Amino acid sequence: MGSKKYRGLARMKEAFFLDGQFRAGVIGIIILLIIVVAAPLLATHNPYEYGPDNLVAPGVNGHWLGTNHMGQDVYSMIIYGVRTSLQVALISSLISGVLGILVGGIAGYFGGKVDLVISEVINAFLMIPTFFLILLIVALFGNSITNVMIVIGITSWPGNAKLMRAQALSLRERTFVKSAIAMGETRMQIMFKYILPNGVFPVVANTTRGMAGAILTEAGLSFLGLGDPSIISWGQMIYAGQDYITVGWWVSAFGGVAIILTVIVFYLLGDGLNHVLNPKYSFDKGGK
Amino acid sequence: MTKYVIRRIFSGLLTALIVFTLNFIIIKAAPGDPIKTLMGKDTNDPVLRAALEEKWGLNEPEYVQYFNYLTNALRGDLGTSIIYNQSVASMIGSRWGPTVLLGLVAAILALLIGTFLGIFAAQHEGGIMDGLFSMVSYALDAMPPFWLGLMLMIVFASRLGWLPTNGMTDVRAGYTGFAYVLDVARHMVLPCLTLTLVSIPGYFRIAKSSVLQVSNEDFITTLRATGMSERKIFDKYIFRNAILPTITLFGITMAFLITGITLIEIVFSWPGMGRLTMTAINQRDYPALMGIYLVVAICVSVVMIIVDIVYALFDPRIRYD
Repeated sequence: MGSKKYRGLARMKEAFFLDGQFRAGVIGIIILLIIVVAAPLLATHNPYEYGPDNLVAPGVNGHWLGTNHMGQDVYSMIIYGVRTSLQVALISSLISGVLGILVGGIAGYFGGKVDLVISEVINAFLMIPTFFLILLIVALFGNSITNVMIVIGITSWPGNAKLMRAQALSLRERTFVKSAIAMGETRMQIMFKYILPNGVFPVVANTTRGMAGAILTEAGLSFLGLGDPSIISWGQMIYAGQDYITVGWWVSAFGGVAIILTVIVFYLLGDGLNHVLNPKYSFDKGGK
Repeated sequence: MTKYVIRRIFSGLLTALIVFTLNFIIIKAAPGDPIKTLMGKDTNDPVLRAALEEKWGLNEPEYVQYFNYLTNALRGDLGTSIIYNQSVASMIGSRWGPTVLLGLVAAILALLIGTFLGIFAAQHEGGIMDGLFSMVSYALDAMPPFWLGLMLMIVFASRLGWLPTNGMTDVRAGYTGFAYVLDVARHMVLPCLTLTLVSIPGYFRIAKSSVLQVSNEDFITTLRATGMSERKIFDKYIFRNAILPTITLFGITMAFLITGITLIEIVFSWPGMGRLTMTAINQRDYPALMGIYLVVAICVSVVMIIVDIVYALFDPRIRYD
């Protein structure tokens, strides 16, 4: 295990210098984290405060990106919106990752009838249009940001489960797992000590892309008026600006740009991680 | 083949049943007491409560309620909208047309354009156009569809005034015949463009990667060694093999489109299922929401099964798996 981890780290370092996507993703995420921490320093106004300037254009009265119909500063809202987006991305994908790893791991490792039943359920859940399900649950159970995060998490696990299942299926045929069985370790021990830790990497890469999905889903919910009204969110900025697009395009426009940039960072990071984890991928030839 | 089809249909039925059960659990677990709502806030008469529970079948044990819900749905009864006092099935029935029109046109356009660009990028791999397309596709993939719709609306409808901002027809004009078709087409340009643009990246990526993958297979190398022209190899062998995964994606895109459409329809006030969903959300019309969800979920699984079967017809490797 020790040498394997070392190789993984070395590969990440190699990837950082040679793989443009991975590097861009890592730098992007660092910038986003800095914005999260330093938001009060970076923002020019209090984003929750309703100022006297309603719908002023970008650049007027010290509002770099203008203000919305309530006089809130768009630039400061965007800075604070990073917190919401990252929070949603992180917590929902943590839930979906853990669920996916457990369900997929059990199916792949136990095999047989257990696998047959779970796989069928995973496939069925993959066919369900999740956005509608999320929408329904949030509409019925209330639109607090906690609910939104939990619901996105518990509806997006099947993809992760499918990946983890494939991993567990191949891992249980490996010698080190077989010797653990021969040593008399219990199924649970083998599952948590060998199968899950070794099979988890592709799920991590997938979850990173899932974070992008979570951000887009939260934005979609906000756009339907199902966002949490007590927080600053980019989706809600677009939603609120929709009524004023003829007189104040900047309210919706910049919220969307923030979403796109953040989502791209997660895409880059996810694709980069996939390159890092794929042993056949060679960085110096640009992936061929 | 028959066995494969039966298995797929079985998974489809299972999906429908899961959606159904989820629906039932959600409505049962949701906060709020329907009887209380029906009685009004100030009434708390146990006799009235018992009578209402009797009337709506809520005094039965949970599993009987579940079974009743299921048999009703199988008979096509999806419940009654609490706002419009109209059956949910008929509300959906009068709204699905515009959604399918919009979704299908956009899906087909995206399939054609995305696949074409993907093949082009694969043939010119590493070139300027390949890099450009890949970048644009990355960005389009990251865009919230409703935001893109709004931006297109700002530019082409509000600023330039070339196209109408909302609706499906110009109500005041009252066109008939060909003029009507033209009017609908004009209203459809922006929503359709938005949906097509956000669906293109999927086709682009899959077409590009499968053309590249097939090109590197041994049998292609063998064909090259025989001296067959590149053009012929591409038309006869690479294209046919590489186009297969697109079929699966078409099914998945159709499913994704349904959710994408909802938001786009709201942006452009397109009179389809999306608008119906929005009104149902705003008025907290739960029976309507559940009915829409059920219908959408079943449509998606039917489309996916059809797509899988079509795929199996084209690619025998799937059937014998």
